Amino acid sequence: MRLLSAELRKLARPLTWGVAGAAALFCVLLAVGAAHNAEGIVGGPDGQMATQVAGQLSPLAAGAEAAGLMASLPGALALALLAGAHIGGEWSGRTMKNVLIQHGRRWQVLAAKLTSLWLAGAALIAICWAALAIAGPVLVHLDHLPAAHQTAAHALGLAASQAARALLVLAVFAAIGLLAAVLTRGTIGTTAAAAGAVICMLVLAVLPTLARWTPATWVQAWMGFPAGQASDTTLPTNFWSRFLSATGQPDHLAGFLGLAGVLAACALAALTVFGRSDVSG
Amino acid sequence: MTAIIECQALTKRYRGVTALAGLDLRVEAGTVFGFLGPNGAGKTTTLRILLGLVTPTSGQAWLNGRRVPDPAGLANVGAMIEEPAFYPWLTGRANLAVLARSGAAGAGIGHALARTGLTDVAGRKVKGYSQGMRQRLGLAAALMRRPSLLLLDEPANGLDPAGIREFRTLLRSLAGDGTTVFLSSHLLAEVEQVCDEVAVIQSGRLITQWPARAIARVRVMVEPDEQEAAVAALTRWAARADGADSVLTEAADGRAVNQALGEAGIWARQIMLERPALEEAFLALTGENDAAAQR
Repeated sequence: MRLLSAELRKLARPLTWGVAGAAALFCVLLAVGAAHNAEGIVGGPDGQMATQVAGQLSPLAAGAEAAGLMASLPGALALALLAGAHIGGEWSGRTMKNVLIQHGRRWQVLAAKLTSLWLAGAALIAICWAALAIAGPVLVHLDHLPAAHQTAAHALGLAASQAARALLVLAVFAAIGLLAAVLTRGTIGTTAAAAGAVICMLVLAVLPTLARWTPATWVQAWMGFPAGQASDTTLPTNFWSRFLSATGQPDHLAGFLGLAGVLAACALAALTVFGRSDVSG
Repeated sequence: MTAIIECQALTKRYRGVTALAGLDLRVEAGTVFGFLGPNGAGKTTTLRILLGLVTPTSGQAWLNGRRVPDPAGLANVGAMIEEPAFYPWLTGRANLAVLARSGAAGAGIGHALARTGLTDVAGRKVKGYSQGMRQRLGLAAALMRRPSLLLLDEPANGLDPAGIREFRTLLRSLAGDGTTVFLSSHLLAEVEQVCDEVAVIQSGRLITQWPARAIARVRVMVEPDEQEAAVAALTRWAARADGADSVLTEAADGRAVNQALGEAGIWARQIMLERPALEEAFLALTGENDAAAQR
């Protein structure tokens, strides 16, 4: 726990605040655009969509929106940035030797790094949720959207369910960042490799023969994101499944098992590489 | 005496480049030990292996009698390797606190800051520190666990003259408290002043290891026509003629030299014990004088 608290203290840095602010701003701007678009269809044939947007922007249901965004491309890119600074930066800044001189058990150092990065991802969900919870009702009011017909329990249940699911996806993103860091040993290399890996996952998922077996489809199945064009709504719940085909998707359990496997494989590979590598510089 | 550091046939190769080539070394507990060598001799690699940062290609090393890598044993070791690096967005004190939380043992951050003269600037962010202040912070990080063994790699780099003097006093004070100090440095004058024992390595091998006070030689003044005979009588100490009427030996014992001359029937006009600077001895041992002359 002492090691984890040290890692969390290191995460309290300007870059982290910048990433958190950017993520929150992104969510709010998305909500602003969605509310504005929904205003135009109130009373029209697609009026039900306006009600849906109002529902998505309610303070409780906004958690599902925040979780969906952080469990997709925006969250992956945010964690790639943080992984670059927080883990890869230990090599670029030549501080890894300090850490290992103080605490020589490398697996514990890696575990603390992974956990702290994952907690940072979870904090991003909370920050985005808070930003949407504040901005949502204001936007609904300003854009004269109809009242959403959903109970608080339903909204909270949906948000909690999506947030809980997103935690596994964020752990996978963090593990990819960890592996990228021990392989590239630098800030820029880590960010580029982690972001590149996620984008490669999405590209591979487009290939019909591979789609079912790629981590991208496992994310989609686990999070329950609607596939293909069905995901293009006035207020998108994610930035992921619009790139993927609607056919041949794995089921929910397969998604969970696939993601758990990726998480374990990345963590094990990172531990193996880091355990054997020389720390110089 | 107990060996606090021991290396046996320690070898390290980096992608075909040999950094250490069978280093054998033994450091007794309670000494201030100078570890010297030209650039690329393998000093830093040795320290990295001792701290578990680098895995040796072959050979073995022990710290406090425990085979390295020994993560648990690091609790008794303080170290500063090369130029110290810190998190620039944190203050000096916060940097030490983060490192202290990373380690297992209790830390004396305030004590370490005071010993290195950083108390007044400990609240400033490290990005505003000068090189000398970073060096002091590196020393503070090495000292904060009150280690029984201190491994320092070029610790006086960037320190001003006053800082170097304070550092020298600090090392002697630590040695007085029973801390073993293993000091790798290019500042030979510093090593000479603070170290009890010195080892010189070159090309990854130990060339020699001897007590610092033993760096001495005997100069014998004889009649010019007896110079050749005197050199012959003193060959066991690598004697050589120096000038027209003088012979230099690598002996440290003037009485033994006098006795050897007497047995050869030579009566010296003068026998003097000289203490050449460590630098001179170092350059002679590593052949750097010859290399410089050739350049």
